[in-house]
This record gives sequence, structure tokens and C-alpha cells, in this order.
Amino acid sequence: MSNDHSTKRFSEPFIDRRSALAAGGLAAAGLIVAPYARAALTNPSPVFLASGQRYNGPLVQTIRDGLLAAGVRSESLRGKRVLLKPNLVEPSRAIPHMTTHPAVIVAAAEVFRGWGASVVVGEAPGHVRDTETALIESGVGEALADGGLKFADLNYEEVGWRRNRGRVSPLKGIYFPRSVLEADLVVSMPKMKTHHWVGLTCGMKNMFGVMPGIKYGWPKNVLHHNGIPETVADISATLPRVITIVDGIECMEGDGPILGTMKPMGLIAVGADVAAVDATIARVMGLDPTKVQYLAIARRRLGEIQEEQIEQRGEAWQTLRSPFQILDRPHLQRLRAADGELVT
Amino acid sequence: MPGGYLAGDQPASEPTAWGSLALSAAGQLEASRVACDWLVACQARNGSVGVNRSEATPAWPTSLAILAWTQWQNASGTANYQRSIDSAIKWTLKTKGRTTDRKPEIGHDTTLVGWSWAADTHSWLEPTALFVRALNAAGHANHERTEEATRMLVDRLLPTGGANYGNTRVLDQYLLPHVQPSGLVMWALARLPTDDSRIAASLDYLDSAIQQPLGAASLAFAILGLKAHGRQSAHYEQKLETAFAGLSSDASPYKLALLAMATQEGSHS
Repeated sequence: MSNDHSTKRFSEPFIDRRSALAAGGLAAAGLIVAPYARAALTNPSPVFLASGQRYNGPLVQTIRDGLLAAGVRSESLRGKRVLLKPNLVEPSRAIPHMTTHPAVIVAAAEVFRGWGASVVVGEAPGHVRDTETALIESGVGEALADGGLKFADLNYEEVGWRRNRGRVSPLKGIYFPRSVLEADLVVSMPKMKTHHWVGLTCGMKNMFGVMPGIKYGWPKNVLHHNGIPETVADISATLPRVITIVDGIECMEGDGPILGTMKPMGLIAVGADVAAVDATIARVMGLDPTKVQYLAIARRRLGEIQEEQIEQRGEAWQTLRSPFQILDRPHLQRLRAADGELVT
Repeated sequence: MPGGYLAGDQPASEPTAWGSLALSAAGQLEASRVACDWLVACQARNGSVGVNRSEATPAWPTSLAILAWTQWQNASGTANYQRSIDSAIKWTLKTKGRTTDRKPEIGHDTTLVGWSWAADTHSWLEPTALFVRALNAAGHANHERTEEATRMLVDRLLPTGGANYGNTRVLDQYLLPHVQPSGLVMWALARLPTDDSRIAASLDYLDSAIQQPLGAASLAFAILGLKAHGRQSAHYEQKLETAFAGLSSDASPYKLALLAMATQEGSHS
């Protein structure tokens, strides 16, 4: 495999220059300037929100609109390799709101294919070694087969080592699977959920799921021992070409990311600045993103989390806000915005 | 032989070891020996066996290499791999999962020592189960590490049966069982004296779980665990036959080996 994927450049950016400069989309495109240089930039990062969404609704149109609103340049994707990375951490038929819904994955694939990209869906489930069973339990396997989409088992692929460009955790380097390293664009497709250790899991935390179990284990305990917020930030810093499409239609509140209860929200969120998307989702959930540790780290290095630095496209988060219940634990309570909910 | 996790993939230690075990159980000693030799070539000077030839770490497949070599020697009546086995066991007994003080938010006993997936991390269920099975097979059932790891495996079982990757209760909530680790830990505990009620509950869980659609690996581990405890059913063989039939012509060597292992389990006892 190539020695340093991080130096790869493309003839055309995937997102327009304004969005790239504004939204940490440089990180998404891997272009023009290094991610750290973006801290000096002042243009706001665009984040698209759409409400009223259903799994049997016009998701292709919504996602296409969202990507364009987030600054994605559709014409530049022709012939490129796009890896869709859903959240299939521990799929269970009994808890479908734990994992990214197949309809959202297939709709996103249709959009990128329509723009001429080749699409692969890949995941390295964090809690289960049997990916085939994860695909069965989540319904994603059947949906991919119906849609003629290939799946890459990121847990067992050949790996390549890349220098840790974030340097927040003690890790000197990070192993990534071949499909991630070879992708021109990685699309983080999280489920909108609470997380009982770090507050919420969205686009950034979802990228734990590209880390190969064959190197990091099940669970990916190497990352835990090096700090969850720190390694979340490091992964985002080291993988520059990531955009986020959030399945916020049927979400999880309470004891997420596995055992929480379903909360219907009907949302799709899209953005090229992974931190800005997560910060916006946190606000919708009634959490203060500046108190979420990995977002606080990201603010300094990876993207925008301040409200005034995020340009809302589609609908405004304030009108969609619906506080999620969180566990009655001190480390979570302190993340609540002024009127966030509490499970006792 | 050797084989990988996916058809056409690079060979890896775990699929190759499972293949060797299945072949030797079926009396295919020459083919099994090829796999055993490949594992020897993967062995580092410190005795460990990495996940594949190009990745010397993590080295949890050392457990499976010990099993493959030991079973081949037992089947052939030779001691061809004894040096490799001894070296691997020496590494195994020096290698420990990280422990921590007990914490109220974590249900399992974090002070018990087993084996981890990757170096310098916590002990988890599947690698520990594999090493317990390997040490038992290699004649170290009474070693203090084997005994403590066995206690760890039982401690990680859920009260209502089954296990997941190795957490029982987190923040006052019991977690969900998963089929593959439940089957594997039952396989590891099969020859060990324990009357803990969670064993029977785990077997019942597996019996129930295999009624649902499963991937080949989970099905194989479930039936390995069930058969290892003496549970036999024509239904198991039907499930395995269906899974075999469902594999494509370019099937994963890993899945093929696991299904073959599950088929062989108990057939010679």
C-alpha cells in the first residue's frame, strides 16, 4: 500500500472553495491547506438540517440537497471512490434505533452513484467479531444486496499505518483498513445517539468504527486506554477527507449508544465540517458542545463548534431542538445545556 | 491452506489455525501439517504468533497456534511442533491483560487476569477463552494462570446466560449477550469443573439463539459450545448443512473452517 496517503491530492476539490475554507472542509477534501491552517479562517461552516424525514420518504432528494448545501461539488465526484461508513456497532433486531438505518445508507449510495462515484459500504463493528451476523441483525446486508452495493469488512482487511496527525493522544500512528486508505472520500453516517461515556455519538465518534479490530480488538480497547475523546480527535485529524450524513430520523436517548430508548426526530443532517455537524446535533439534543470533551478538542484543531461560526442551511437547529434524556451521572449532567433533560 | 478471513484475502493466523484444527479432526493430517508449518513460519522469536505474517502484533492467535500444533501432535503421535509449543506457552504465560481496581460502574471483576486482544489493554472474553482452551489442551489446566482465567470467563457471563465481548453490567445496566463469544466461552469451559448456573443458562441461550438467522461464524461457535457440553441435536447438523450450502464457491476459508470444526466437534468422543 502507498506510504503516506495523507499527501494525496486531487485535481478537483469535492467541495467548493468557500465551504472548504469555511467549514474545515479542507479536512473533508484533503486539499489546499493542512487542517490546522483552518483555525485562522473566519468563514462559517455550513451544516444542513432537514426535519420531517422518514425512512420510506424521499431520502435521496434530501441527502442530495444536503450535500449540495454543505458545499459538495457533485461534478468532482465522477470516477471517485466513496466509502460510506454507517454505525453498526452492535446490531440487534430488537434495537433498530441503535444502528444507521439501511434506507439512509442506500439513499446516500444512490446520490453518490448518480454523481458518477463508485460506492462501497464499510464498517468495523466495534463490539462484534462476526460482521456477517451484524449485517443480518441490522438489515443492512439485505439492503446492500438488493441495491447491488459492495460491503467492506473493515475489521479484517489489510491495514496501513499512518502518522497520527492529531497528536492529542499518545498514539504515534494509527492503523487504517485498506478501503479507508484507498477511498477518495469517506462519509461518516452515524446514528444520532446519546453516549453514556462521552455524551453523544455522531459523525466524529462514529469514525471509531473504521478502526480495524484485527489491530485494535473487540472492543477497540487500545483507543479506550489512550483516551476516547483524544483518539476520536486524532482519527479525525488523520483522516482528512470525511463528510458526515447523520441518520437522525429514529434516534436513541438515555443509555446510549446501545441500550437507550428510541426518540423519533425525523432529521437528516449533512456537513463537511465534522465538528460543526456534531456540535449542531449536540445543540439539537440539548447538550452544550463546548462541554463535550472531544468537541472541545476539535474546536482547537479540526473544525467549528461555536454557534456563530456555523452557518445553518436547510432548517435552523433552534426550531428543531428537542432535549434528549441523559443518564443521571455527573460526567453526563455537566454536558447539559441550560434546559437539557435528565433520566433519574 | 493457509487461508484468510475472506476468499482471496491474504492468509491470516486465525483462519489458518482453525483450518488446521478442522483438518486434523477430520484425519487430514497432511493438509493440517501444511497449516501448522505456516503458523511456525509466523512465530516470532519470543514465541508469539501475530495476526498474519506481516503483522506480528497483536498476538492473540498464539492461542490458536498452540491448539493447532498440539492437536496435530496428538493426532499424529509425534512431537514435531513441541519447540514451537513450548516457546508459545512461555510467551503466553508471561503475557497478561491489564487489570484495574474495581469500579462501581463496571459489573465484572476488573482485577482478574486473562488475556487481551492487544498488548497493554484489558483482558477480554474471546482471547481469554482461546488461551484457556489452548493451555488446557497443552497440559497446563492446573496452571494458576489457567485457573484464574477460567474464573474470569465465568465472571464475565451474564446472569441470564450468554456473554458479549466481555462486559456484564455498565452504569447499572446489564448488557446484551452475543452468540459468537457465548459459544466460544462455552467451548473453552467445556472440560472444566464448574457448576455455575450461568453455564446452563448460557447453553440454553445458545440453543435459542441459533433458531434465528445467523452468520456462519456465530452459528459455528454456538454449535461448538453446545456440542462441547454434550448437547447433541439433529437440528444442529441441519443448521450446519444449510450454512455450508449457503457458502458461495469462493467462500471465506475462515467460515469454512469454523463450520467444519463445528461439524467435527463431538464426533470422536
